[in-house]
Amino acid sequence: MQQREEKQLEASVESLISRVAYVKNALHSFIYKLENEYDRLTWPSVLDNFALLSGQLNTINKLLKNEKTPSYRSQVIIPLLLSPDRDDDLAKLTEQRVPVFSHEIVPDYLRTKPDPEVEEQEKQLSAEAARIGPEVAQKQIQTLNKLCSGLLEKLNNPRDEREAESSALRQNKPSFNPADTNALVGAVAFGKGLSKCRPPGPVAPGLPGQGPLMSGGPTLQQVTIGGGSGQQPSMGGPVSQQQGQPGKMPSSIKTNIKSASGSMHPYNR
Amino acid sequence: MEAPPVTVMPVTGGTINMMEYLLQGSVLDQALDSLLHRLRGLCDNMEPETFTDHELVYLLKGQQGNPFILRARRSLSHPTAPWHLRYLGQPEVGDKSRHALVRNCVDVATSHSLPEFLNEMGFRMDHEFVANGHIFRKGAMKVVVTKLSRILVPGNTENIERLSLSYLVELSVLAPAGQDTVSEDMRSFAEQLKPLVHLEKIDPSKQRH
Repeated sequence: MQQREEKQLEASVESLISRVAYVKNALHSFIYKLENEYDRLTWPSVLDNFALLSGQLNTINKLLKNEKTPSYRSQVIIPLLLSPDRDDDLAKLTEQRVPVFSHEIVPDYLRTKPDPEVEEQEKQLSAEAARIGPEVAQKQIQTLNKLCSGLLEKLNNPRDEREAESSALRQNKPSFNPADTNALVGAVAFGKGLSKCRPPGPVAPGLPGQGPLMSGGPTLQQVTIGGGSGQQPSMGGPVSQQQGQPGKMPSSIKTNIKSASGSMHPYNR
Repeated sequence: MEAPPVTVMPVTGGTINMMEYLLQGSVLDQALDSLLHRLRGLCDNMEPETFTDHELVYLLKGQQGNPFILRARRSLSHPTAPWHLRYLGQPEVGDKSRHALVRNCVDVATSHSLPEFLNEMGFRMDHEFVANGHIFRKGAMKVVVTKLSRILVPGNTENIERLSLSYLVELSVLAPAGQDTVSEDMRSFAEQLKPLVHLEKIDPSKQRH
């Protein structure tokens, strides 16, 4: 009977050692990646590493819960010999992490109770739990269960349902207005709605060839001979009101200055 | 008088004829943030750049029909930067299957005396507006998201009023003439911005009426 237990203990301790070795290797490679390749690291690969660690911890948990595993609580480890001398075998075994089996390392490595701070927190939590009474506790448990199951349901539902919802939402909120596009393009291309001689708003613009004749001091004046080009008058602004009629009257200012082109070049060669 | 020797003749030509390929669309204010996030993801990784510019459009009316248009632009956020003068030609009426609007484009930087110079040359300012927004870059492509504002008092860029509740989105590339692969690249980029924004070739002459 005792032999069986001993055998079980040995077997479980061995499998535990191997599982812990897996975790150690995974952590080691993850830390290496984080320290050396952090600029190339992507979030999905970090998530993969965490998932790997979580899976390995899960296996350890399962192993410990296994019925074949004897209860480790009944086992006690007592250090038989502590020496401040360096032990090479131990150092090799632990990959140079524990070179000396001395008084300093015993409290850390052979610890069975949680840290004092953790113990304090646990005590507080159990006191709190005892304080609120069984019915309140039960209600809290039920609410938590309900929330979790609701969330799980939403997450587990087939993706099509969710996509239908979200696409319906998106369609109800158009993100652009074609009329605005046209208005903006018109404004940028030829100043529709922007010209200072016209009241604000998309008033039918006259051709931009309509210039106020009395605008300040141009050195070259162009003559609009006989407004017969059918230009629309512009209202307001500095244009004189004589132009009220649709371009039938010839302009009242006549000059004989022509635009500087061709034969009037002063530096004629 | 004989012609001066060849070496003294003014330099003409020798510059590459640059064309601007353009696609335009708009986005409503409420969708602006998602558009900016998407552009930050799609475009080259750089610090998001905002700009505030004041553009003046000058016209030179000739005796013939179409006036000559020049666009002068200055930065309100960098007042000491040079002014920028741009000429945009008529859109090329190429084959209809070309996906972007193509027009001749000449850009120069000028000093701060540009408005007076243009006035002396005979140009008259037709309209002006203030544009501010964000600019993104992907390779040769430039994406600009602008909010246009009308200037209420001429010359006063503080007193402005928004033109509409949307932002104008423009995708443009400056390339030498004759490169049609550019419009293919632009179209595939524009596909990635759907359904937030529909970038398309909008013929400005069709908008006139």
